[in-house]
Amino acid sequence: MSSAITSVKTSVKTLAATVPAARWRWLAVAALLAAACYAPFQLAPFHVFQLTMVLVYAVALLGLDLLVGHAGQISLGHGAFFAVGAYATAIMLDRLALPYPLTLPLAAGTAFVLGLAFGVPAVRLRGLYLALVTLAVAIFLGPLLKRFEAVTGGSMGLTLAKPQPPAWSGLAEDQWLYLLTLVVAVAAFLVAGSLLRSRAGRALHAVRDDEVAAEVMGVRLSSYKTLAFAWSAMFAGVAGCLYTWVIGFVSPDSFTVNLSITLLAGLVVGGLGSMSGPVLGALFVMFVPGIAQDINDAAPGVIFGLLIIAVMYVAPTGLAGLAGRLVKKVPRKE
Amino acid sequence: MTLIVEDLVAGYGDARVLHGVRLTVGDGEICAILGPNGAGKTTLLRALSGMVKVRGRIALDGAELAGRPPDALARQGVAHVPEGRGTFMPLTVEENLRLGAYVRRDRASVEEDLERVHTYFPVLRTRLKQAAGSLSGGEQQMLAIGRALMLRPRLLLLDEPSLGLAPLVTRELFRIVQAVNAEERTTVVVVEQNAHLALGIAQQAHVLETGRIVLSGTAERIRADEQVAQSYLGYRV
Ligand SMILES: Nc1ncnc2c1ncn2[C@@H]1O[C@H](COP(=O)(O)OP(=O)(O)OP(=O)(O)O)[C@@H](O)[C@H]1O
Ligand SMILES: [Mg+2]
Repeated sequence: MSSAITSVKTSVKTLAATVPAARWRWLAVAALLAAACYAPFQLAPFHVFQLTMVLVYAVALLGLDLLVGHAGQISLGHGAFFAVGAYATAIMLDRLALPYPLTLPLAAGTAFVLGLAFGVPAVRLRGLYLALVTLAVAIFLGPLLKRFEAVTGGSMGLTLAKPQPPAWSGLAEDQWLYLLTLVVAVAAFLVAGSLLRSRAGRALHAVRDDEVAAEVMGVRLSSYKTLAFAWSAMFAGVAGCLYTWVIGFVSPDSFTVNLSITLLAGLVVGGLGSMSGPVLGALFVMFVPGIAQDINDAAPGVIFGLLIIAVMYVAPTGLAGLAGRLVKKVPRKE
Repeated sequence: MTLIVEDLVAGYGDARVLHGVRLTVGDGEICAILGPNGAGKTTLLRALSGMVKVRGRIALDGAELAGRPPDALARQGVAHVPEGRGTFMPLTVEENLRLGAYVRRDRASVEEDLERVHTYFPVLRTRLKQAAGSLSGGEQQMLAIGRALMLRPRLLLLDEPSLGLAPLVTRELFRIVQAVNAEERTTVVVVEQNAHLALGIAQQAHVLETGRIVLSGTAERIRADEQVAQSYLGYRV
């Protein structure tokens, strides 16, 4: 028995030594993707739905991470851009009867433009002031949605038909929605990844690390801060669109200030400035409130808060940082 | 590039630091700025790269630079290596270098210049994928200068490049600055506490005190001036 374990250990060691670290990352990503494609055919519909929502949150957190993790800004109003994407999609489906594939780019565009418009004044603010203003946006959104009842359906919200799987596919609704979301999420991560590796991405990091030095290097601070807002809003808009597809219902109560704060908490818990952070954060946002409810039905919020504190205590750089540290502990041949 | 500075007034908020600085640096020359702590040497370089508000005239080959923002000046070819180097610590050495060429659009020659910076600073080539924060002080200073060169600067501003470095490293660094100046004909303004080294590579020098230039001349003359040697340079001739 113990010799079997030793031999497994040595073979893991030799494997680790023969494959370079960068390739390990790709192997891990490929394995994860394979599992993600396989999952909907193995799990019960409810769990498929839960995984779909994890992907939706992951895209939203990816956008928030562009702003917070990569550009060093802060936002307590990310849920508002998520809501913009969700409502834009709902309105296009309900009032304009557009085909649903068209709603995705349009929702993304709407959120992008609003993010840009919001980013211009936000450039002048930083730290707590920016946090406060973005929080105000999140607070303001609910009453605004209720006010324009004719378009938004007021506090009753809008109920929509979900995208249906084409007959040839033979898929169930939950599987179809999951796969749609998976494709969009993977595309979103690829786009964000290439954005961050580009000249613009370097400029974003430079602004985050040292504004003055970045400016001396020729980076126009105001345009990058504004763009970071717009990009971040665009991903939130995409996530919002997916949300409407998946849930088939929007109402002001789905997008309260709480959502914005939970998203920020989820991102910090997941880890800032990495590609795995948003995914881990999305898992946290999706499953931990439920776990908190199981632990104590009376005050799930308290348990959720305590769990956040516990994670930050164990992993101050987020779950992604913790995972990174654990991977480094895998034995390597010298 | 000829740099002409006239009646330059600059400061922070209401506090004025420079009170009418006037100096000229000829095309392809190295100019040393000396002076005691707090004289305004750093502020002068900040004024030249647009980091502080200024009044007066700053002309680079006839183009007026005073009052323009730092990113516009970078586009004009002004590269500033700030006191404390301004390195982006979490980014890799290569990312730092590429950021130096941020305002340039000519991709092919950026690759060439990367190669050129590697010949000036061979140690950087071996550290390309490493976080800049993990470099030694000397290597970081080389990175900072290398990054400035990636702009293909017409005017290179160096603020105390020797700060915190071993004498041997400092000498090597100055040798490289001199080589860059000779090969690229880049005009250089260097602020330096180590007056001996700075005067060794400069053609002319200015002594700054409480925001005014109190003495100007060729590097040789400044070095020979006994009074300067005692009161500003901290050594006897
Ligand atoms: N950011 C700032 N805000 C306000 N005052 C400043 C600032 N930076 C410098 N000063 C003031 O301006 C004056 C000149 O400072 P400066 O840094 O230009 O001097 P220096 O000649 O570079 O000195 P050192 O040799 O110590 O680097 C000092 O009196 C300093 O207190
Ligand atoms: Mg100084």
